[in-house]
Amino acid sequence: MEQPVVELRGISKRFAKVLANDNVSMKIGKGEVVALLGENGAGKSTIMKILYGLYHETSGEIYVDGVRRRINSPKDAMDLGISMIQQHFSLVEAHTVTENIILGTVKGKIDFKKEEEAVQKLSDEYDFGVPAGARVGDLPVGIQQKVEILKALHRQTRILIMDEPTAVLMPQEIGTLMSFVRKFAEAGNSVIFITHKMKEVMEVADRIIIMRNGRITGEVRKDETDTKELARLMIGHDLEILSKEGTAEDAGRKKRLEVRHVTVQPKDAPAVLTDINFEIYEGEVFGIAGVSGNGQQELCEMIYGDLRPTSGEILLDGEDITPLGVAGRIEKGIGYCASDRYRYGMVANMSLAENMMLKASYLKKWDRHGVISWREVDRYTQKIIEDYQVKAPDASVPAGSLSGGNQQKVVVAREADMGSRLVIFDQPTRGLDLGAINNVQKVILRERSEGKSVLLISTELSELFELADRIAVMYQGRFMGIFDPQDLTTEKIGLLMAGVSMEEMTLRKEERTDE
Amino acid sequence: MQNIINLLTRAIFMSTPLILGALGEVIAERTGMMMCAVEGIFLTGAWAGFAGCYLSGNMAVGFLAALICGMLVAMLYGFCTIYLTQHQIVMGTAVAILMTGFCTFFYRVVFGIPTSPLKIETLPVLKIPGLCRIPVIGQVLFSQNIITYITWLIVPVVFYVIYKTAAGLTIRSCGENPEAVEVAGINVRRIRFLAVMVGGCFGGVAGAYYSLCNVGMYNSEIISGRGWIAFGICFLGNWNPVGALLFGILFGISEAVGIYIKAVGGSGIPSELFSALPYMLVIVLTALRKQFNVPAKLGATYVKED
Repeated sequence: MEQPVVELRGISKRFAKVLANDNVSMKIGKGEVVALLGENGAGKSTIMKILYGLYHETSGEIYVDGVRRRINSPKDAMDLGISMIQQHFSLVEAHTVTENIILGTVKGKIDFKKEEEAVQKLSDEYDFGVPAGARVGDLPVGIQQKVEILKALHRQTRILIMDEPTAVLMPQEIGTLMSFVRKFAEAGNSVIFITHKMKEVMEVADRIIIMRNGRITGEVRKDETDTKELARLMIGHDLEILSKEGTAEDAGRKKRLEVRHVTVQPKDAPAVLTDINFEIYEGEVFGIAGVSGNGQQELCEMIYGDLRPTSGEILLDGEDITPLGVAGRIEKGIGYCASDRYRYGMVANMSLAENMMLKASYLKKWDRHGVISWREVDRYTQKIIEDYQVKAPDASVPAGSLSGGNQQKVVVAREADMGSRLVIFDQPTRGLDLGAINNVQKVILRERSEGKSVLLISTELSELFELADRIAVMYQGRFMGIFDPQDLTTEKIGLLMAGVSMEEMTLRKEERTDE
Repeated sequence: MQNIINLLTRAIFMSTPLILGALGEVIAERTGMMMCAVEGIFLTGAWAGFAGCYLSGNMAVGFLAALICGMLVAMLYGFCTIYLTQHQIVMGTAVAILMTGFCTFFYRVVFGIPTSPLKIETLPVLKIPGLCRIPVIGQVLFSQNIITYITWLIVPVVFYVIYKTAAGLTIRSCGENPEAVEVAGINVRRIRFLAVMVGGCFGGVAGAYYSLCNVGMYNSEIISGRGWIAFGICFLGNWNPVGALLFGILFGISEAVGIYIKAVGGSGIPSELFSALPYMLVIVLTALRKQFNVPAKLGATYVKED
């Protein structure tokens, strides 16, 4: 390689007790797109924040264009042409696009008109379609990211670091971003792309640096590797192959949950659920596909007891549970893993043990003469930590101190345990890294083999195909039908999710063959 | 008619320190610093202004002493909240209470316990030649003291700085999203500390206005909540210097009305009720106000990781 633009030599970073980066060295070349791949908490962001001057290395050296540099603050980094787009954007939502972009680059009196024109010109140059005068808070996330990119371009960046840039984007937007990255690199700039998604890496990177536990575990050229090797370097071992045994149609299985013609009709608003009719057998995973916001959340809440049906009834093992509230249904053995675990699943400041009994504090399980037996709760939590391979020192640490994947393991463990008959999983693997996804999916299949019923809502079709015994597709609060996964293709599901019924599809096909 | 003109003159006179204090508060709060030490800063300013003026015999020395002492108290508050990352409201209240004791103590250290209150001449009225001859507004607006005129000049200056300059953009951004400011290569803590210092200077001079312009003496009840009113004016004025001016005048009027009714008497309503007028006004107006443009990170401690 010719003279690298950036070189990190033996960088280590220690936070209080944790060694976040351990002797990390890397070189970034001119015109190169380097992907920094690793699971959450592998130290990818930390090493880049050191390069950007937000953190300071405990030891090690940074060279830019072959010259040793001390980068004490983002200002030093920017002076060297380095910019970093944070995972959670650093934008002032109350201010305009222009104000955000010029922050820190102007002095004295600001000629807003001139600045706005310059920003608009820059945006048009890259075909970003960013309105320079708009309030950032009014813009969709995809455009906000472009504002961040413009901020970097405005500062004449030649080394652009992007931290998980696709996490917030829709599929089409990801395509646009990728082509920008390629174009930007072709112009002789360098891009460091932090991600934990292998698909993106294979799409955009020239070279891939893999990190695990604060160390670099591998460095490969894209054309010399495959996803299997990357996964192994990332998580340290091969992914466990999921195996699904038996089918739901085994004779003699009984119906666990029956939802009969349920409609939920709020006052003065369109129905959120219309005539929902299905049943889940014991030992069955019932999948729900659909674009988020088509009634999945309401479906969960209706079964969980938080949302009362306007008409229809819900039966659990033949018993009518429609009149029961949330607490009553918890006691009947329904577990619910909400899609937003931070808001509905846990209290980040409370310990793991406290979180374990969060929902069941009123049950007699841990009650000793009206007093909580913490020894019992701790022991139980310790067992969960071991059984579910939660990376946590013990039951007393706050839930918020764990990584996202490990938090989800804790919530999944609690709900799987509470839901002795039915467990509802609403997007259980969203935002998790490979290892954690693997872990959660294993739990779902284990619950299934134990004879529990599982309602699985997911926007990841591959996950549904892998886990579900039957799949219902939801569109605007209705079922578009219940299908055997073998009868479905990704294309068909896509059309169903868009509201095209199976009958329409066959009709269209016939028309086409007629022609 | 003359009564009303006198009342308005008095209102403008009383509004000056409230406007000045609120302007300082606007600058600090726009960077996210909920500077509720302002009551203590006012009191310190009143004490330092009086002591400085009494001992030197010079008004300017008094105001300078007030400015410096106000700034020092603000620096204490800023150091605790910004660099030691303590809770802004708790620290602000603590500093305010600390200064109450501090001022009483040092008044006695310096002056002992005088048998009759020590007095000084109040700051004279400075009639603006020409303008003061205009009927009505000549007396109301142009027969005031120099601090009032300076305060009026500061309003557009603060407005210009906040909305038209790079420094203002940084100040506003600090209050909305300090992380974004840090990422843009600006030292958030320094900006916040400087803003608090400026706020302290304004508050110190505002406090001295009560001892040097209003009564010409010092006692520990001299401020009695006016710092908190300036704090409230900053909110009501939507963190905007012009809003601070308008609400400052409104509260000046309510204070003047209270004093007037107390003086006239005989209305059958206890005069204490009118003294409480500005404070009641804060509660009523704040409760009525629907939309506030609160800086998003106002009162939030900014902790820099490194």
